[in-house]
Amino acid sequence: MKKLLSGNEAIVEGALVAGLKFFSAYPITPASDIMQGIVKKQEQVKFIQAEDEIAAVNMCIGASLAGAKVMTATSGPGFSLKQETIGLAFKLPTPLVIVNSQRVGPSTGMPTLGSQGDILQSKSGSHGDYVNIVLYPNSVEECFRYTIEALNAAEESLSPVILLSDGMLSHIYETVDLDSIKYSLKNRKRKPLGEEKRHFTGLLSKNDRPQTKDSQVYREWYYERKKKILDVAEKYNFYEYIENKNADTLLVAFGITSRIILPLKKKYSIFRPIRMFPVIEELKEIAKKYSKIIVIEMNDGQYRHELEAFLKRDIYSVTQLGGKISLKEIENELSKIYSE
Amino acid sequence: MSFQRFIRNDVLPLGWCPGCGLHALFYATCEVLDELDKTNTIIVSGIGCTARGAGFFNLDSVHGIHGRAIPLAVGVKAVNPDLNVVVFSGEGDITGIGGNHLLHVARRDDNIVVICNNNEVFAMTGGQSSPTTRIGGKTLTAPEGNVMQPLNIQGIITSNKRFFYARATPVFKEHLKECLKQAFEYDGFVFVEIVFPCIENYSKKMDQTIACVLKDLKGKYKICNENRMLKDDELGIFRSE
Ligand SMILES: Cc1ncc(C[n+]2csc(CCOP(=O)(O)OP(=O)(O)O)c2C)c(N)n1
Ligand code: SF4
Ligand SMILES: [Mg+2]
Repeated sequence: MKKLLSGNEAIVEGALVAGLKFFSAYPITPASDIMQGIVKKQEQVKFIQAEDEIAAVNMCIGASLAGAKVMTATSGPGFSLKQETIGLAFKLPTPLVIVNSQRVGPSTGMPTLGSQGDILQSKSGSHGDYVNIVLYPNSVEECFRYTIEALNAAEESLSPVILLSDGMLSHIYETVDLDSIKYSLKNRKRKPLGEEKRHFTGLLSKNDRPQTKDSQVYREWYYERKKKILDVAEKYNFYEYIENKNADTLLVAFGITSRIILPLKKKYSIFRPIRMFPVIEELKEIAKKYSKIIVIEMNDGQYRHELEAFLKRDIYSVTQLGGKISLKEIENELSKIYSE
Repeated sequence: MSFQRFIRNDVLPLGWCPGCGLHALFYATCEVLDELDKTNTIIVSGIGCTARGAGFFNLDSVHGIHGRAIPLAVGVKAVNPDLNVVVFSGEGDITGIGGNHLLHVARRDDNIVVICNNNEVFAMTGGQSSPTTRIGGKTLTAPEGNVMQPLNIQGIITSNKRFFYARATPVFKEHLKECLKQAFEYDGFVFVEIVFPCIENYSKKMDQTIACVLKDLKGKYKICNENRMLKDDELGIFRSE
């Protein structure tokens, strides 16, 4: 059956289908209506409106250890507050999905215009070394689909997964036929709290005991954990590549920006990462075909820097700052690159 | 059965300083868990000397981040109400950095037990002032003596319509155990404040030996058997019902 849904509503639908059992959040636009959607589903999902975002995400950690599939949703200011707990989820480890519907920052910024300013924070906003999977859909249908995948990936990797959205994607309405979307679900093997005698700790530990002075133990633990997440990430290798045989330039865009620039496929090839992190390996091969790569994003070149490091070559950047995105402006910026 | 079943046998001797009240608090807690046969207990803690205790219990336990033990515990309880969810952490963790969570867990009357070890300092970080340092208490950050009034935890908890607040010290072990017993059997939010100064990073600075500390605690506190607001020098239970 076809339904008219917003991006945020589709996230709620996806979470329910994936078996979400606990949700806690603190109000913030443009993410609040995810919480409002969950409120209506309390026969399926235990819901607590938390006193702040740190409480929300820590309630999620507790609920997750107790066996539930958990999710919280926020925007930039709340996402900043949750960072310390992302590291905890990585360390314990425990599954956790955080939706971040990006708005213009820093600080309170331009509430509540959409933005893509939290790309780097979604990858490494918590202190210390860690890796996590970051997904970023670009349509209402994809919001549904990738919420399911985010919850699946969290279960499989026993780790935090970030589902990015943006102020625009959260609130666009599109008709979708959810029944036609195929998916499978992943469930945890680990027993919930109360069934064993384990010590889950943010400290480095070995055999359940804190081991905080042994670098060797740290290294072994870290590389094993990293490998596990990278292995799981491979199964979530989502991207879209629109090849234009005549093009010598590859445009890279994601989220709402990738929707806006779609008409440019007549002139350029387009690569759209859906799994933003870890960066899609195939991009290395694809990139070889193009003399220019241009990342178009609503921030000051965050993903561009990531790709420069990843592809080890110069990459051009078109930025759309301040909550406004316009195809005309983007085309102007692109022509400037060509007249350089 | 014995209380030892609640202690991980590979953690002895416990990592706390000799003479620290945490040893006696930990053993008393295990004894009560044993007497009530609370094998469905989960221990949750934040960060600090007290919080390290989570790893000493032979139970599923979670040692999370500084100040956030309460919401983590609330999440556990929300998903599995059959568990006896107990927070075991310090006063800096619970009333300082985590103070907002304390206000709201008490307001929501969430069904968890908080055992808060009030040693008047941030012990683990060397003995800085905490929200409950007494006036005149010497700390790393108030070397001339603290001048700010200590937090009235009892006032915060008992300002709610429904509440359970207890104050105990390991120096009066039977009273402590009675408080913990009632705490584990209460249906709603429970706050148990344990008073015992940090020996290593606080009392010693004020030239107090362990013997002095014990004598002071014994001399200062009287057990109140009435159900009412406790005076500063009283131990007891004040509950709304
Ligand atoms: C976010 C954060 N800030 C600061 C610290 C450092 N820190 C560790 S324990 C602690 C204070 C602990 O005091 P308390 O809760 O009273 O526990 P105690 O050691 O006295 O039992 C602090 C500030 C930390 N771990 N995390
Ligand atoms: S530093 Fe203080 S609180 Fe910590 S174990 Fe030693 S005496 Fe106890
Ligand atoms: Mg303390």
